[in-house]
Amino acid sequence: MKSKKMSAFTSFLFVLPYLIMFTLFLVVPLIYGVYISFHDWNLLSPIHPFVGGENYARIFTSGTSENRIFLNGLTNTLQFVVYSVPLLVIIGLALAMLVNSLPMKIRGFFRTAYFIPYAVSVSIIAVLWLWMLDTNSGLVNQALEGLGLSAIPWLTKLPYAWISLVIATVWWTIGFNMIIFINALNEVSEEMYEAANIDGASSWQKFIHITLPSIRPIMIFVIITSTIASFNVYGQPYLMTRGGPGESTEVLLMGIVQQAFELRQMGAASAMAMLMSLIMISISVGQFLLTRGKKRKGEEHA
Amino acid sequence: MLKKPFMALSAVALLSGLAACSNDSGENESADSGGTQTLSFWAPFSGPDGPQMEEIVNSFNDSQEDVQVDMQIVPQSEYYTTVDLSLSGQQESPDVLIMHGDQIPTYAAQNILKNVDTIVGDTISQDDYHPTAWDGVEVDGNLYGVPLDIHPLMFYYNKDMFEAAGLDPEAPPTNREEFVDMAKQLTNEEAGEWGYAVPTLWPQQFIFPTIVYQNGGELVTDEGSTANFASPEAVEALEFLSSLIYEEGVSPENVQQDGELTLFLQGKSAMHMNGPWMLSQFEDSDLNFGVAPVPQLGTETEAVFANSHNFVIPETVQDEGKLEAISTFLNYVADNGQAWAESGQAPVSKAVYESDEFNEMKQQPQVAKQFDYAQFSPNVENWGPLSDPLYSAINEVLLGSMEAQEALEQAQQDAQSRLE
Repeated sequence: MKSKKMSAFTSFLFVLPYLIMFTLFLVVPLIYGVYISFHDWNLLSPIHPFVGGENYARIFTSGTSENRIFLNGLTNTLQFVVYSVPLLVIIGLALAMLVNSLPMKIRGFFRTAYFIPYAVSVSIIAVLWLWMLDTNSGLVNQALEGLGLSAIPWLTKLPYAWISLVIATVWWTIGFNMIIFINALNEVSEEMYEAANIDGASSWQKFIHITLPSIRPIMIFVIITSTIASFNVYGQPYLMTRGGPGESTEVLLMGIVQQAFELRQMGAASAMAMLMSLIMISISVGQFLLTRGKKRKGEEHA
Repeated sequence: MLKKPFMALSAVALLSGLAACSNDSGENESADSGGTQTLSFWAPFSGPDGPQMEEIVNSFNDSQEDVQVDMQIVPQSEYYTTVDLSLSGQQESPDVLIMHGDQIPTYAAQNILKNVDTIVGDTISQDDYHPTAWDGVEVDGNLYGVPLDIHPLMFYYNKDMFEAAGLDPEAPPTNREEFVDMAKQLTNEEAGEWGYAVPTLWPQQFIFPTIVYQNGGELVTDEGSTANFASPEAVEALEFLSSLIYEEGVSPENVQQDGELTLFLQGKSAMHMNGPWMLSQFEDSDLNFGVAPVPQLGTETEAVFANSHNFVIPETVQDEGKLEAISTFLNYVADNGQAWAESGQAPVSKAVYESDEFNEMKQQPQVAKQFDYAQFSPNVENWGPLSDPLYSAINEVLLGSMEAQEALEQAQQDAQSRLE
């Protein structure tokens, strides 16, 4: 009895540092953010009158600038999520399988090579791609023209601007998903593959019936984290397209940052941030329920 | 990873959280008039200009015993957030600080900047500075700062390309006709060489208003209450820029963020317009470049869009001794501001820009030539975000996806809804 209490206490001590950080930098700001979103909170004024739901109401009233910024930002962010997440998941898995099938000796090298971009800051990634994709003097277009093809306006016309942002993002972050998938693939038991080999299953059949079901929990994790990461897109469009052409790649976070730090309207910015998180949470929960539901079905069939 | 959904939110909340904490402003530090006055001074000069200002401050501190200035450089990216918190009394505030001219109306409207009318004309002489500089610190007839410099749009050109095209490298264009004419001669599409690559994003924030002002137009009218983006002068300015790409063919299409700068640095665009802060970058490259006042690309009058650096004092600074010490410091800067010119900027104090030493420099005298007709951003709060729809519209037009008239009318509507 006593030792059980002791061990509970020790465990608590171990979680404590994280708990303190979590409370200090996440829970408190979150609650404070909710509080701010109900006030007219101009950074330049020491007085912040309570306005109830007005900040939220303005976001939902068509014709207000808040409404325009939020809707345009949300539409663009959702587009980015839809374009990038499937690629982040599929290419991540494909790379993991490719690297895993390499001879042991060079496996480590490729694992590191694909992961390195993830460790580089977004500003460097963006500038790199900005120069490579430059319509009039970039490496990519020079190569295209060398092949007798015409130059492509990578960052100034749609759909190329989205394509470029997705390429840069995939190249930047794919290493993370790949590492997770590699670990998951290594967990799949060899015996199942051996049994399948004896039954004469093809590689595709092994992939569909053994690999995919075995890594499903990890797959859910990767889909959800990729969606969240893509929702938080900011640096790439901010640095590569400046939201252009026009406002067509201006993502939600750019609008929120502008409200907060250029217009100094913390109330409106917090309200937008709250709505953004609510949307992200619902999408994540939705994805989780959907994929979990599928798994149950799968189990019944088995 | 799972923490990410809250990140955006926490960042916003955290910053405002900081705003609410620490409420002790420096008001209570009563300064003894007998001893040494210490002034805290904030500046956003985190680039190569920082050491220049530091040099001035240090030589001031060494020159006398009574006043010691303690300069703090706050990085440009977080400068105004820090200033916001301090000036609204939510954090300790400096005694004197640098503020860009286009920010002054926003702060003045909150009554948190000292009206310096009583100091200027008393301990600081208005005549010691170029008259235009005072426009940049004036809101509704009151002065809210003492000017340091004016940084207008500048004209840069590649002398080697001028020579190769048979043009005189010492005679840059001065008006629209010469500009277009030379641009055509400098363009060699086969070789990928252009007369003037037209930017579609930054620094249009300086170029477009320059041409509108040169056309005799205004971007905001009715004392700051009406957005006037679709005036005939503005439409003409944008159509002119667009014609350089689509009719005259002196600029490539689809110039991306900084694309025109890359082309200029590569020697593939002969002419370039940007702020005077570009000087050090061009000097570090191996370009053989010239710098001149911006040609008159508009049809009516000489004008150039500019921003400025100014010294402002928080409203909370009341102590007479302190105010006198600030005047002493600012007068010293005006008399000994040559070091600031070394950063590429042109100080607006006559003692500097009329000196021989200043006029022997390469770029700085060209900047000062534009003082007489420099014009600042419209005198409204939050000009930056207010003009965002305008620059999105310009982007669309210069990328060839919209007509000038229609795009500007739409931007005007958007901005008007933000003004109200």
